[in-house]
Amino acid sequence: MIVGALALVIGSAAIGIVVNQVSPRGIPLFSTTAAADSPPAPALPKGMRGVDLPEARSSFDEHAALFLDARSPEDYAEGHVPGALSLPAYEFDGRFPGIADRVEEAQSIIVYCDGVECSDSIHVAERLVEYGFPDVSVFESGWRAWAESGAPVSEGAEP
Amino acid sequence: MTAARLRAALGRPALGACCRILIGGIFLYTAGPKLLRPDEFARLVYGYRIIHPDLVNLAGITLPWIELVAGVFLVIGIIPRSSALVLAGLLGLFIVAGFLALVRGLDISCGCFFPFMGDHKLDWDLLVRDAILIFFALQVVVWPSGFVPNRSRSEGKGVSSG
Repeated sequence: MIVGALALVIGSAAIGIVVNQVSPRGIPLFSTTAAADSPPAPALPKGMRGVDLPEARSSFDEHAALFLDARSPEDYAEGHVPGALSLPAYEFDGRFPGIADRVEEAQSIIVYCDGVECSDSIHVAERLVEYGFPDVSVFESGWRAWAESGAPVSEGAEP
Repeated sequence: MTAARLRAALGRPALGACCRILIGGIFLYTAGPKLLRPDEFARLVYGYRIIHPDLVNLAGITLPWIELVAGVFLVIGIIPRSSALVLAGLLGLFIVAGFLALVRGLDISCGCFFPFMGDHKLDWDLLVRDAILIFFALQVVVWPSGFVPNRSRSEGKGVSSG
């Protein structure tokens, strides 16, 4: 029974690795470090660009990008990047029309959620790419890294 | 006498068949979305902070396939005891990982039913649920059920065909 279980685990894992290599949604087997001072993180979907904290901060300081907060409205109200618009991943269809004009005006868009482990920012970024926005990035380390870095924050339901 | 009755009740073939389908079905149901989005599942694994970051992609790639294959095998009765043992082991792993995350105060999604099916936050109730599911998986390990093909006899323990 134990031999069978081991064979099942090894065989299934091997299938998974092989399928991942040929799948269009495949990811690198091992994570890679995007920046020297940040820990390795899971891969973003193919074709999606990530920005680290320094790049996000630079875009913020230079007003070079519109920030979108993909977390819940409650989390947004507790604290968000100043000027960021709230666009929760699970309320995208309901909320996007209300902010579409401002998003369309933006040269560049940076989406964030809590941190590396969350996927809400990726969901929102994928929808924006589907809508045809050309410059959409994901700030992977997200709100947690932003707040811990001492960067400016805003509170409340308004940007 | 009571213990003997309890053993007899737990060893009923019908109960074993229900446990097989329940456990196998749950893992089949939950493996699908993870297979479709290994990148997202890897992020959820990352959130638990118990695997070295270099290895979270590998876990995100392989774990759903282990769940899928073991789930399929369990439902259709191919090496059911081994499959149930693997799934019991995964449930045990989830409990340990969840426990460590909760005692460290991590506020994360459990990853068990994946965000596509709602954002389930990791909490103590989920650990209790997993513990109950382990019982069902171990039922198959200890009392291999009837209602499975005869090939299950080859797993090293006599099987009461139902």
